[in-house]
Amino acid sequence: MGPVEHLHMSVFSQSFSPCGRFLAAGNNYGEIAIVTPVSLSAPLTPLVFLNFLYFSRSLVYSLSAHEGPVFSLFSTDTHLLSAGNGEISAWSWAELIKRVRPSSLEIPEINAMTVNPTENSLVIGGGDNNIHIMDLESGVFKSVLQGHTDYIHCLSVREREGEILSGGEDGAVRIWDYRTGQSVHCIEVYKYEECARPQYGKWISCLTTESDWMLCGGGPSLSLWHLRSMSPTSIFPLSGCQRQANFYQDMILSVGEGQCVSHCLLGGEVKAQIPCTPHSLNTLALNLNSTDNRVLTVGGSSHQIDVFTNLSYRTFSLSF
Amino acid sequence: MGAVTDDEVIRKRLLIDGDGAGDDRRINVLLKSFTKWCNATGSPEEGFTQYQRMLGTLAQCEFSMGKTLLVYDMNLREMENYEKIYTDIEQNITSAHDKISECKKEIQRAKRIRKNRQEYDALAKVIQQHPDRHETLKQLEALDKELQQLSHIKENVEDKLELRKKQFHVLLSTIQELQQTLESKYDCSLCALLWQDGL
Repeated sequence: MGPVEHLHMSVFSQSFSPCGRFLAAGNNYGEIAIVTPVSLSAPLTPLVFLNFLYFSRSLVYSLSAHEGPVFSLFSTDTHLLSAGNGEISAWSWAELIKRVRPSSLEIPEINAMTVNPTENSLVIGGGDNNIHIMDLESGVFKSVLQGHTDYIHCLSVREREGEILSGGEDGAVRIWDYRTGQSVHCIEVYKYEECARPQYGKWISCLTTESDWMLCGGGPSLSLWHLRSMSPTSIFPLSGCQRQANFYQDMILSVGEGQCVSHCLLGGEVKAQIPCTPHSLNTLALNLNSTDNRVLTVGGSSHQIDVFTNLSYRTFSLSF
Repeated sequence: MGAVTDDEVIRKRLLIDGDGAGDDRRINVLLKSFTKWCNATGSPEEGFTQYQRMLGTLAQCEFSMGKTLLVYDMNLREMENYEKIYTDIEQNITSAHDKISECKKEIQRAKRIRKNRQEYDALAKVIQQHPDRHETLKQLEALDKELQQLSHIKENVEDKLELRKKQFHVLLSTIQELQQTLESKYDCSLCALLWQDGL
C-alpha cells in the first residue's frame, strides 16, 4: 500500500467484537483491518509506552474483503458482517480469516446494516431507496420496506416497540413497524425551522435511538427528538454535518465534519470538543463489551484511527 | 567440629567488632590486666590502683552492654511500630479501594439521574411552548357556550321561518280559492245584473 493510497484512505466503518477484544475497521479500498487487544489497552507497560511515543502503530491483520469500499460493518454474537457495493460477507470471529457466506445482491450501495435481535434478522438500507430485511439463519430475504424517495444513510432498531427507523438523503426519518412492513411515521426534519440548515441540505446521515429519544442529524443540525410526542427537544449548535452520534451514559458523543469529537449534554449545550487526527470523521465506535478495554475509537478521512482510553483526550492512533 | 564452631565464632566476632577498636578490645585489655594483677609482684598501692582501673574498665563494659541492650529493645519496638503502621496502611489501601468503587457506582447513579433530569428539562421546554391547559379549557368552554347560544338563535329563527311560511301558504291558498269562486260566479251573476239594469 503506497503512500498515495495512504493519503487517500478513508475509514468508513468500525465494529468491536462481541468479546470486546478486537476492533474491525473498514476503509474505502475494501479492506478490513482487525486490531488485537495489545494495541488497544491502556498504555501502562514500558514496552507499550515506547510505541505510545510515536503515536502510530501497525495493525496486526488486514484482509481484503471487497472490491469496493466497505461502507458498513456490524457484529453479531458470532460473526462480523461487512457490506460494500452490493455484496454482504459474513466473517466468523472465531476464525477471523474464514469467510462464511458471501452473497451478492442487487442493492447498489449498502450504507447501513443493523440486526433486529428479536427476530434474528438483518436490516439493510441501501442505495436503491429501500430497506431489505434478511433472515440471518437462512439468508433469505423476508421483506422490503419501501417509502423513501432517495437513498438511505442510516438505520436504527427499537426492539421494545418493534420499530425500525431509517434516515435518508430525502431528509425524512421514517419509522416502520417491522411486522406489518408499513411506515408508521414520517418526520421531515428539514421542515422544522429550528433544526433546518438549508445551506447544508436536507439529508439525514446519522440516526440513533435510546428508549424514547432519538438523535438525528446531517444537513439539518443534530437534534434530540422525543419520539412519543414527535417533537424536537434540543438542538445542538455544532457546525458541520454530523455523521455519527451515540448516547453514552449521560452524554452524547458525535463526530462529523470537523476535526473533533463533540461531547454534548442532553440539554443542548456542547460540553467539550476533543481534537483528533483525521480532518473529517466518519465513524465512532465504543467498546462496551469488555470491562478492561473500554475505549472509544474514531475514524475518518485519514489512514489513522484514533483511540481514546479516557474520553477526554486522544491516547494514540492506529494506522492501516 | 571444633573448627566449624571456631569459624562460626570467628565470623560472629568479626561481624560484631572486626576492627579491633571498642568493646572487644576493652574486654581483652581487662582480661590481660586481670591476669597481670593476679600475678602482680608490685606494691599494694599499685595493686589497688590496678584494681580500681579494672573496676573502671568493667564499669565501662557494663555501661556499653547496657546501651546495646537498650538499643536492641528500641529496635524491637521500632519493628513492632513499623509492622503496625504497615498493617494500618494496608487497611487504608483496601478501604480506599472500596471507597473508590463505591464512588464509581455513585458516579454512575448520579450520571443516570442527571440524564433523567436533562430529559425532563428538554420535555418541559417543549411543553412550556404550548399554552396552559386551564386557559385552553376556559376558551373551549366559552366557545361551547357561544355555540349553544348560536344554535338556539338558529332554532328560533328557523321556527319563525316555518311559521311565516305556513301563514303565507294559508293566505295564498285562501286568495286562490276566492279568485276561483269569483271567476266561477262572475259570469252568471254579472249577466243577471246586466239583465236587470237593461230592463
